[in-house]
Amino acid sequence: MNMEKGSSVRQKQIFYVFVLFFLLCAIAITAVYSVSIGQVSIPFQQSMQIVLHTITNGHLGSLDQVESDSYTNIIMQVRMPRVVFALLIGMGLSLCGVVMQAIVQNPLADPYILGISSGGSLGATFAILVGFGSGTVLAQFGVAFGAFAGAMATSILVLVLSSIGGKVTSIKLVLSGVVIGALCSSLSSLVIFFANDAEGIKSVTFWTMGSLASSSWSKVPIMAIVVLAGCFLFLFQHRVLNTMLLGDESAITLGINLSVFRKLYMIIAALITGTMVAYSGMIGFVGLIIPHICRGLFGSDHKRLMPASLLFGGLFLMWADVLSRVLVANVELPIGILTSVIGCPLFIYMIVKKGYNFGG
Amino acid sequence: MQLIVESLETKLGKKEIVKNISLLVENQKFVGVVGPNGCGKSTMLKSIYKSLPTHKGTVVLGDMDVLKTSQKKISQKLGVVGQFNEMYFDLTVEQMVLLGRTPHKKLLEVDNQADIDIVENALKQTNLLDYKDRSYLSLSGGEKQRTILARTIAQQPQFMILDEPTNHLDIRYQLEILQCVKKLNIGILAALHDLETAAQYCDYLYAMKDGRIYTSGTPEEVLTPETISELYQIKCETYKNPITNQLGFVYQI
Ligand SMILES: Nc1ncnc2c1ncn2[C@@H]1O[C@H](COP(=O)(O)OP(=O)(O)OP(=O)(O)O)[C@@H](O)[C@H]1O
Ligand SMILES: [Mg+2]
Repeated sequence: MNMEKGSSVRQKQIFYVFVLFFLLCAIAITAVYSVSIGQVSIPFQQSMQIVLHTITNGHLGSLDQVESDSYTNIIMQVRMPRVVFALLIGMGLSLCGVVMQAIVQNPLADPYILGISSGGSLGATFAILVGFGSGTVLAQFGVAFGAFAGAMATSILVLVLSSIGGKVTSIKLVLSGVVIGALCSSLSSLVIFFANDAEGIKSVTFWTMGSLASSSWSKVPIMAIVVLAGCFLFLFQHRVLNTMLLGDESAITLGINLSVFRKLYMIIAALITGTMVAYSGMIGFVGLIIPHICRGLFGSDHKRLMPASLLFGGLFLMWADVLSRVLVANVELPIGILTSVIGCPLFIYMIVKKGYNFGG
Repeated sequence: MQLIVESLETKLGKKEIVKNISLLVENQKFVGVVGPNGCGKSTMLKSIYKSLPTHKGTVVLGDMDVLKTSQKKISQKLGVVGQFNEMYFDLTVEQMVLLGRTPHKKLLEVDNQADIDIVENALKQTNLLDYKDRSYLSLSGGEKQRTILARTIAQQPQFMILDEPTNHLDIRYQLEILQCVKKLNIGILAALHDLETAAQYCDYLYAMKDGRIYTSGTPEEVLTPETISELYQIKCETYKNPITNQLGFVYQI
C-alpha cells in the first residue's frame, strides 16, 4: 500500500520533469519553425542550420547548404526578434496570471483584472488620438509610453483605493479594479467619441487586439530584463504564493502578512504587464487559461506550477503567433484574436473534463 | 509556555466586542473558553493571535510581548487552528501540512528531509497518512479540520490556540483530536461548545458572556446549573455520569 503510494509520487515527479523537458524542446523546435515561415519561405533544415550557426557563433551547424545569403539576415534580423518577443510575452502573461490569481485568491483573475488593461487602453487611445504634442520627448515613444503610463497609473490608483481603511484584501482589490477599470473605459470612449480621426480610431482598435508586428532587437532587451527578472523573482516566491491561497487569516498565523506581499507583488506584476502592454497591446486569455491548464495537470503548488506555466505560456504564444501569420494567406491576424480563438475551446475542454473543478 | 492576557479590549467598527478580558493559561495546561454564540470567543482569540487589532491591553506569551512582536516570531511559538478554513485553490494534504513549516523558514529556504519527517509525523498523529496525496478540496469537513490541525502540529508551536477544533468531527475524531492536542503537552487555549468535552479535557475554564469573563475556575466550579442557565438562557441540570464518572448535562428550553 505504502510502496504503491511512494511510487505514484515518484511517477508524478518523473512526469513533471518530462513535461518541462518536453516544453523546452518544443519551444526550441517551434522557434526554428516559426522563423522559417513568412513571405519568403525558408526550408526548416536550412533555418535550423542558420539558427544553430548563429547562436553557437559558428561552432555548430553550417551555412553550406543555405541557398541564399539573405536568409540569414531574414531569419536573424527580421523574424527572430518576433519569436523571442512571443516567448517573452507568453511567459510574462502567464507569470502575471499566476501571481494575480494568488493575489486576489481567485482562479478567474488574469493579468488585466485590476484595471491594468483599461488603464493601458486609455493611455494608448490618448496617445494615438490626442498625442503628447509633437516634438516633445514623450511624443517619440508615443503609444508605448501612453500604454505603459496608463497601466501603471491605474494599478497605483487601484492599490491606493484598496488600501483605504487599512489592510489590502483580495475583495477590495477586485472591487477597486472593477471601478477604476470602468472609469478608464468610459474615458477612452469619451476620447474616441470626440476624436474626428477615422484612421486613429482604426489604430486604437488594432492596438486593443494585440500585435507582435513591432518587434525588433532594439526592444528585446527591456522586455527581456523586465520579464526574466520577474520570472526569476517569482520562481523563488512559491512559499508566500502558496500561503496566499490559504487566505489572510491562516497566513497571519503562519507568520506572513499578506497585505504587504499583495502590494509588492501587484506593483511588480503591474510593471511587467505595463511593459508588455506597451509593446504588444492587449493579448487576452493567455494569463487566464495557461495557469488553469497547468493547475489541472500539476496542482496549485507554485513550486511546480510556476515553471510549467512559464514554459507553457511561452510556447502557447509562439504558436498563436505562427498561426496568426499562416492562417490567412498574406494577411497577419492580430494575435489577440488568435489567443482567444484557441483559448476558448481549450478552456471549455478543461471545464467539461471530468475531475476539474475550477482551480482545484 | 504560559500565556497572560491582561485587560484586553477589541472593537469591531464602533462596537466593543471584547470588554476588558484578563486570563491566564499556565504552562502545559489545557484551558477552555465556553459561552453562547456571538459572545466574542473568536474575536478574543483573534485579538490574542493578532489577526485583529486590539484596542487596549497586553498579551504576553512566555517572555514575548505578543502585541509588539513581529508576526513571524509569534508564529514560531504560537500555532492556531481557526474556525473556518475554506479556499478556492487546491493543494494536496501533504502540501497543505508542509506549509506549517513556513514560520521556521527563511523566505527563499526550501523544505528539507527534516521538514518532510516532521510533516509525516504530524500526519501520523492526526491519522491522515493515507490521505497524504489527496486533494484538500475533496476532503470532508472533519478531514479538513484534521489537516489544519496537522499543519499546526507541523508548525511545532509551544502554545496552541484552537477555535472550536471539534466542529464537523464525528464522535471518534472529537475524542482523538482532543487527545492528540492534549498529548502535545503544550499550553492550550481552546474555544469549545460541547460542555461535556470541556469538562472532560480542560484543566481550567473561562465562561464568557457579552464580551466579558462571566466566571472562571475548574470545570466543576464553572459548569454549575446556575452558570449554564445564565450563559445560555436555558434550564439545565448536571449529574455525575455513573459510567465515566465525568460531569454530565441535561438541557431544556
Ligand atoms: N465587523 C463587525 N462589526 C460589528 N460587530 C461584529 C463584527 N464582526 C463580528 N461582530 C459581532 O461580534 C460578536 C462576537 O463574534 P464572535 O465571532 O467573536 O463570536 P463567537 O463567540 O466566536 O461566536 P460563535 O460561538 O458563534 O463562534 C458577534 O455578536 C458578532 O455579531
Ligand atoms: Mg467563533
